[in-house]
Amino acid sequence: MKINKYIFHLIIIVFILLALYPILFAVSNSFKHLSDAYSSTISLIPNPFTLENYVDLEDTIPLFRITLNTFIIASVITAFKMVTSFLAAFALTYFHFKFKKATYFLLISTIFIPFTVTMIPNYLIISEFDLIDSVWGVILPQLADAIGIFMLTQAMRNIPKPLIEAAQIDGISTFNIMKDHVLPIVRPAITSTAIWFFILAWNDYVWPLLMLRSRDSYTLPLALQLFVSSEGGTNFTIAMALSVITMAIPLILYLVFQRYIINTFSSSGIK
Amino acid sequence: MGKKYTNYLLLAPALILLAIFTIGPLIYTIYLSFFDWNMISPTKTFVGFDNYTELFQSETFRKIIFQTFQYIILFVLLNTVVTYIFAYIISHLIDRWKPIYKAAIFTPSVISLVVGSMLFLWILNPVSGPVATVLGWVGLSIPNWTVTEGTVIVVLSLIVAWKVFGYNFIVLYSGIVGIPNEIIEAAKLDKISKFRIFTDIIIPMSSATGFYILIMTIVQGLQYVFTPIRVVTQGGPNYLSSNLIYHSYQEAFDLFNTGVSAASSVITLVIFVVLLALQFLFVERNVYYEN
Repeated sequence: MKINKYIFHLIIIVFILLALYPILFAVSNSFKHLSDAYSSTISLIPNPFTLENYVDLEDTIPLFRITLNTFIIASVITAFKMVTSFLAAFALTYFHFKFKKATYFLLISTIFIPFTVTMIPNYLIISEFDLIDSVWGVILPQLADAIGIFMLTQAMRNIPKPLIEAAQIDGISTFNIMKDHVLPIVRPAITSTAIWFFILAWNDYVWPLLMLRSRDSYTLPLALQLFVSSEGGTNFTIAMALSVITMAIPLILYLVFQRYIINTFSSSGIK
Repeated sequence: MGKKYTNYLLLAPALILLAIFTIGPLIYTIYLSFFDWNMISPTKTFVGFDNYTELFQSETFRKIIFQTFQYIILFVLLNTVVTYIFAYIISHLIDRWKPIYKAAIFTPSVISLVVGSMLFLWILNPVSGPVATVLGWVGLSIPNWTVTEGTVIVVLSLIVAWKVFGYNFIVLYSGIVGIPNEIIEAAKLDKISKFRIFTDIIIPMSSATGFYILIMTIVQGLQYVFTPIRVVTQGGPNYLSSNLIYHSYQEAFDLFNTGVSAASSVITLVIFVVLLALQFLFVERNVYYEN
């Protein structure tokens, strides 16, 4: 019985080490000289330690500009989606109206539509407005997303309804009900959904790929793609530096808000 | 402004955005699938079902459908079956360090798939990568997977599995933890094996969550794997790593066959709708709901 438990722990720890190895691999190689990276592939400790890859990266691509683009796109998408999702979730939870269930069902079913089904028309819309290769071209189509509505409706359903109904009867304005009664209670769900949206938008590849043309308007994942070649090449350690920069922000956000995120996702699977 | 309309006002921003960028485009894509068009020419030619028949008559497309199902099987295996087992082990078979394990397992889920693709490409480099080096010590080698039939799909699925595993794990874990503990304790007292507890109690009693994860794994997995395909293989060699999602992209933005791309997207959508309908029917009928 006891021995069994050790075996399980061992399996889990080996599994976790394997899952985290790619992250360690990237960090370690980003601080190695290229020659060192080739001669000691296995060692995870850079010897000698160098920052030259990060410096070289700055000379290869407009790194600051690209990071800023990624940040702006992720922030704007997150802010807009949170506001529209919060308002919609509020209406769907606390108002009674015709076709409410049908509306909710319709909204939620859009989550399952594959992106290929909307990509050509959205591409045409964006080029019609001359927004190809711009930040707005990347942002606009991604504002249409029902996942936030789903997550926040789940959270709002946990608030006792009589509480809100009493406030409605007392003639308190909808805005004040949201601000004073609902927002404080669903704040954990809002925090983790917002962080999740930010991470998703930060990592997004498909839509920026279709929208962005010039290096100055690239996002980090698109820039990283410039360094991919299955043959290897002289840019390996620089590519690792860019990988580290790309994953740094999501990892930091995750480490800080880890408990919120895990709790919110724990309840997302149960309808 | 009457109070009566407040709810519609609140819903409006989300609904308008979804109408413009999701529902409208969905309808337009179905429309486009009946036309021959190169995205630039001012005229579209109506061709009826020709785009669909062209697809089903093409050897390549049949290969792509077959590969799409290969991807689905791999995703289900790696990200539902294996994940379920891990969630069971961590929830019920050990009693220490659970929060640390959960946090660590979720970590890769926050990392970009482009980063993941890049890292796996290097780690599994058949000449100078660390895996090849270690295997070299015992005289083994790894194939040049990016150009090897079969292997390429497995490795691309593995990259997606690396990213999705943590998310699925957390959701399944909470589904399993939701099962009343008395039932499991009673089974243990009756000396029912751990394996039987898993197959006869855990899986049936968490099947609402299980089905949700199964469907999400398929729907998202096929879309997620677009990134490693695009970054690493571009669907090659000779379409051998392509799937329905990548094929739609390639037809539209590499070959400018809007109609064929739209038809391929509609076929994908139909497959997803069938899966959802199956889930709906099955779950509503047979599933034990937590709470």
